[in-house]
Amino acid sequence: MTAVAERQGYRGAWTQALRSPVSRLVVKRLLLAIPIMLGVTILSFWVVSLIPGNAAQALLGPEATPDQIHTMELQLGLDKPAYERYLDWLGHAVRGDLGTSPVSGQPVTPQLIDGLAVTSELLGLALIGALVLAVPVALGAAHRPGGLFDRLSIFVSMIGLSVANYVLALVLVLVFSVKLAMLPAIGFVPLSESVSGNLKSLILPAIAIGFPLFSIYTRFLRGDLVDQQQSQDYVVTAQAKGVDPWRVLVRHTLRNSSFGLIAVVGLNLGVLIGVTVIIEQIFALPGLGRLLLQAVSARDMVVIQACVVVFAVVTVLGNLAADLLQTVLDPRIRYGDR
Amino acid sequence: MAIAEATPSVVAGAPLEPPARTWLRRLGIIVPAALIALVVLACFLGPLVLPIPEPTGGNILEAYLPAFSPGHILGTDPNGNDILSRILYGGRNSLIVAVGVTVVGQTIGGTFGALSAYFGGAADTLIMRVFDVFIAFPALVLIIAVAQSLGPSVTTAILALSFFGIPAVARVSRAATLSLREQPFMTAAKLCGTPWWRVLLRHIAPNIAPQLITFAMLGMGLIIVLEGALSFLGLGIPPPAPSWGNMIAEGQASLSATPMLVIWPSLALFITVLSFNLLGESLRSLWSAR
Repeated sequence: MTAVAERQGYRGAWTQALRSPVSRLVVKRLLLAIPIMLGVTILSFWVVSLIPGNAAQALLGPEATPDQIHTMELQLGLDKPAYERYLDWLGHAVRGDLGTSPVSGQPVTPQLIDGLAVTSELLGLALIGALVLAVPVALGAAHRPGGLFDRLSIFVSMIGLSVANYVLALVLVLVFSVKLAMLPAIGFVPLSESVSGNLKSLILPAIAIGFPLFSIYTRFLRGDLVDQQQSQDYVVTAQAKGVDPWRVLVRHTLRNSSFGLIAVVGLNLGVLIGVTVIIEQIFALPGLGRLLLQAVSARDMVVIQACVVVFAVVTVLGNLAADLLQTVLDPRIRYGDR
Repeated sequence: MAIAEATPSVVAGAPLEPPARTWLRRLGIIVPAALIALVVLACFLGPLVLPIPEPTGGNILEAYLPAFSPGHILGTDPNGNDILSRILYGGRNSLIVAVGVTVVGQTIGGTFGALSAYFGGAADTLIMRVFDVFIAFPALVLIIAVAQSLGPSVTTAILALSFFGIPAVARVSRAATLSLREQPFMTAAKLCGTPWWRVLLRHIAPNIAPQLITFAMLGMGLIIVLEGALSFLGLGIPPPAPSWGNMIAEGQASLSATPMLVIWPSLALFITVLSFNLLGESLRSLWSAR
């Protein structure tokens, strides 16, 4: 008996931790994400190769002779078969080297990190703002379904769902920059330069991205809360015990509904990243989206490839994070009762 | 049909919905459906019936006319083209693309999703993993690449947006089919030796149709917005041909001087998308209430 206990102690906390249901699931999900990531990079390689005109031609201009183009192709390694180029690229990419842009002659990774910083700040502001507003609004709406506040929230979120973000962006510019002259229409001030300037330059684009998001989250959470309130036994039990209705809503129902909300947030990331491309273009923000569009017009394959992969990887990681958060938060899984 | 549905609730003595509710519910379907019909008619028949100038080749001397000018109800753009005419012709393109993507997405995505759920096992895993990759892939990036490689046109826009539509519909169709799989009528059909394609067409399709139609309505709105985004970036309908997206993009250049150039096409876009969303929502609540 004691020997067994000692042996278990000797094995240490590591083994124990790895055996817990949560970590088993986490490891499983992480392993599942690898083929998806590989698939995404292969797909992006293929998609980028669809774009007509090759880098050699783009670099040398329209007057280049076929001979010159051929030499350049050899230099860039374009003569190798696609799978060889892919493996070559993958080998460098996993070590953080995404190549050197043949157009600007600069290494891509630092450019990408700069862009990613702007884009993630923008997305972070939009996401957090949308969530912080959506949760109380959905709670207020679900407290009395069919009430005045509920109808108002449905009305507002329907507008948010139907307005195209680029239209919203232009309307915001028209109102706050052109008419009221309160906020800058374009440009970006880095956080290191001025905190208030930085926030001012990001607030309109963040609203343009965040308002539709707020609408999606509010609609989903309200619907889920109302469903649970009307159909679940635990709600009836709590109500029968005489628990305050707000407390039932916040402590009981919201906890359950938050799982669905987390999934929605994760699933939306892919769409969201597409949205930033257009919003960054409108507000002239030096983010990943603008880097990508510039690269597309310059036919800079290396940069396009890098941007696409970063976008895709962020999406996969976002989904994974949402997935894991759900798993870890679910007590049925945490305590191994499955 | 309507009588057959109404009678049982009376017979069963179930509480009837108050008339106001029923009316509200009907209005929720009639109003957006009528708006959509209006937009479709205006875009496809309007230019044939009404005395409206061509959307391109306007007189440069008539540029920047304000709204309610004689002959140009909504005024003209920087090239002297009639704005109303451009909105109507642009709406044609948006609607054609939206319907095209919806048809492609529903047929291919719907079939794959249903098959995947029906057969299950390795086929299911493989199909859904492939679609997972597509879903993980940033939609707009894929669309940009396809649009770039094929050159901007209506067909390209349909193809590019289908990449986004097919996996989304497949997920919905798979989820809907999964919930049917254990139903007795499915077992009955299998026991009768019904071939899989017949099960798919006669047993699964009618049952998942409500979910798919609802999703199609919500999807139409989304596709119109995405098509606008594509044109906005200069990758959709090539100018001078009009589309709501490229009209908004052209108007953006002179936003402070002539905001109406942006506002008119934006309004058209907003009303159309809102109608599709409202219709989808109403259909969903109608079908889920049963």
